[in-house]
Amino acid sequence: MMSQNSKKHTEACRFCWMCRHLCPVGLTTGREVNTPRAKALLLSMVDRGEKFDKDIAQAMYECVLCGSCTNDCVTGFDPTIFIREARTMAAVEDLLPKAVEEIITNISNTGNIYGVQKPKYTGTAAKAEVLLYIGEVAACKQPTLVTAIMSLLKKADIPFTVLEEEPASATFLGDLIGFVEEVRIQAKDCANAINTSGAKTVVVLDSYEATTMKQRYPEWNCTINADVVTATSFIAGLIEEGKLVPKKITGEVTYHDDSRLARDLDEHEPVRNIIKAMGLNLQEMFLNRRMAKCCGSELLKAYAPELAALTAEGRWEDVNRTTADTLVVVSPQVMNVMGAKVPSAKQIKDLYVLLDQAC
Amino acid sequence: MKCNAFMNDMVRSELEDIVGVEHVSTRESDKITYGVDYFWISRMWADKGQRPPQADYILHPGTAQEISKILKVANYYKIPVHTWGGGSGSQGGALPMAGGIILDMKRMNKLIEFDEESRTITAETGMIFQQLEWLANEHGYSTMHIPSCLTCGTIGGALAHRGIGIMSTKYGKIDDMCINMEIVLPNGDIMNTLPVPKHAAGPDLNQIFIGSEGTLGIITKATFKLFEQPENRQFRGFMFPNMTAGLSAGRDIMQKLKPSILRLYDEAETISIIKKIIGVEKKGSFMNLALEGDKRIVDIEMEIVRDIVAKYDGEDMGFEYGEKWYENRITFFYPGNIMEIPQMFGTMDTVADFKNIEKIYWAMKNAIESNFPGVRFIAHCSHWYEWGTMIYDRFIMDNPPQDPEEAIRLHNQIWNTGVRAAMENGGVINDHHGIGLKLSRLMKEQYGPAMQVLEGLKKTLDPNGIMNPYKLGL
Repeated sequence: MMSQNSKKHTEACRFCWMCRHLCPVGLTTGREVNTPRAKALLLSMVDRGEKFDKDIAQAMYECVLCGSCTNDCVTGFDPTIFIREARTMAAVEDLLPKAVEEIITNISNTGNIYGVQKPKYTGTAAKAEVLLYIGEVAACKQPTLVTAIMSLLKKADIPFTVLEEEPASATFLGDLIGFVEEVRIQAKDCANAINTSGAKTVVVLDSYEATTMKQRYPEWNCTINADVVTATSFIAGLIEEGKLVPKKITGEVTYHDDSRLARDLDEHEPVRNIIKAMGLNLQEMFLNRRMAKCCGSELLKAYAPELAALTAEGRWEDVNRTTADTLVVVSPQVMNVMGAKVPSAKQIKDLYVLLDQAC
Repeated sequence: MKCNAFMNDMVRSELEDIVGVEHVSTRESDKITYGVDYFWISRMWADKGQRPPQADYILHPGTAQEISKILKVANYYKIPVHTWGGGSGSQGGALPMAGGIILDMKRMNKLIEFDEESRTITAETGMIFQQLEWLANEHGYSTMHIPSCLTCGTIGGALAHRGIGIMSTKYGKIDDMCINMEIVLPNGDIMNTLPVPKHAAGPDLNQIFIGSEGTLGIITKATFKLFEQPENRQFRGFMFPNMTAGLSAGRDIMQKLKPSILRLYDEAETISIIKKIIGVEKKGSFMNLALEGDKRIVDIEMEIVRDIVAKYDGEDMGFEYGEKWYENRITFFYPGNIMEIPQMFGTMDTVADFKNIEKIYWAMKNAIESNFPGVRFIAHCSHWYEWGTMIYDRFIMDNPPQDPEEAIRLHNQIWNTGVRAAMENGGVINDHHGIGLKLSRLMKEQYGPAMQVLEGLKKTLDPNGIMNPYKLGL
């Protein structure tokens, strides 16, 4: 049973073709069902008596929730609303794809999508005004990135702490089953843990999680008693204040704006300021900032690795049309997804690692 | 073809062997999705909760060679083949009315060549046209094919239905822009049209397949002209006392100059849609015009336009309305701005010479409004030539019959009446949306004895009649 709000959006999108050219999944699979209009059409047919079954549920997971379609819509309709809600229906009606079920089990058992014990990191102090929220992707898959950003904070003389048992932010669970009470409870636990730390500023490494904390937590009454900032804007601020002074590096790079940082948080310039501060020549991809084509996500890679490989290839095609030999990224998710498909003539580098070397 | 489950699996295996298991679908979600395109009837049918027409197999080929093999299999088993691009056509041209195969072309979306010296770009036809335009833009050029469906349709779709963009008055229709094509014929042969279209080596084969709507073959690759982005683009809005004055001014402008955009709205559209979207408050017939190119030339051309407009008592409304229209040119088509179910509506675009065009406008308007109470008629002229123009006539019915079958019959009666009024007065059955399923029944009336040319081509190229049955009158 869909909400009235979802129905409003499905009814609007079901016969609208305007944003299909932006769907990173549809562009690579070429399948009609991988368009926002097709998903809306299917749900509208369900509302008219068609059976909501595993097949339709599966179609709802062939989406990165990157918001490119939403960003394009001049009349304000948002396919992610009904896609998320359809995922809730799939969970409630026991129609989840098997791979999705496995990830939910992992989250339930370990608090992260990988189903592993999350590695522990320590800050420079047990209590500090700055709390670094590492997130599960960086913690489990990108230790080099974590080391680099911690090194940068130390070089800038910023005392910081990390949570000894960092709870999940509810980002991935929310993407998997929609914004339901279980998700809110997970978010509440995370907000409580952050509040207990007494930090005044929370620096969030993964833009997906920063988006959840900054935009969803207030909607869910999960108050964080601190400023939530993205790692990119925090580090750019340290450079601006002269606390980090990078040496100049030569080279031509391009940068991939990840969808939640660029579209949901509308943050584009801090990264570019960091790249500029290092003296690197930034060659923009044609589709950049809010228009950037999503490369996939770690969550998509976890439950549909073949789709994530295709979306990554799609974005590499854009990189390949630039003359830059290096793709710079700031997201642990982008590093994992794009890093798995690097073409032979290109390389991928994490901005914090580069900056740490330059400082 | 009648086949049981056993046979279905045999055919499916052959198709999987050609394109790969992952590129053949019989999923119900796919079947529903490919049964609804932008055609009003298919949307209304879905809105009423009716099952749409369904294909048996949905294929996603990756090469022309794969398509060739698919067509050989389809011919052997006599399975209908419906080619699908973006599915955004308004005429039902892609709907799988005969079941069988849907051939979704969108995996074939690669850029093949960018030739700066010749100013051409070549790509596979499953590419969404906006992607091709962006690739051109990356190099500082444009295809200048900017239709309202730029983001919705594919290159192949634009070619198959003989599409047009908002800049057509200067840069031409898709058939003027295409240099050459690769086509898979129904028997599986892969052919190319000649390298360039201007020659004296017989008829231009491009023009046989452009507009053929998947009934004569499948276009897999195409080369298009590229244009420099104009140094200067100037807009101007004018208000004429009526449509007659506006048409006369438009004719005189076209017979001296080549604007990129020239749009003239009748009084009904001026006080409804134009007022809503760009805020023009005055009564009359609104004209939006753009000139572009070298600024020195554009300045002189605009002076000539102003002189012509003054001759027909047109009021100069300045550049703001034109710029606002340009900024909002796609906004018109988003949900909330565009006409939508449960309304019944349709665009009966026709094209004719200047001698007949106004007569056609009034004939269509009177035929629709006098025969169908509760139906409104609005129109504009948006693509112009030295010899004539088109009319983008739309009918709108706010409260159509609830019963879907009754609605289909009324819909078709309105279309028959409007289109026949156009054809009887020297207009053509359609200007730029194509024929598809919607107008198929009227093709013989349009062509008369000339229809045997198209029928002869069909019979020779597709003797088993497997290619997109029931479309284009073939």
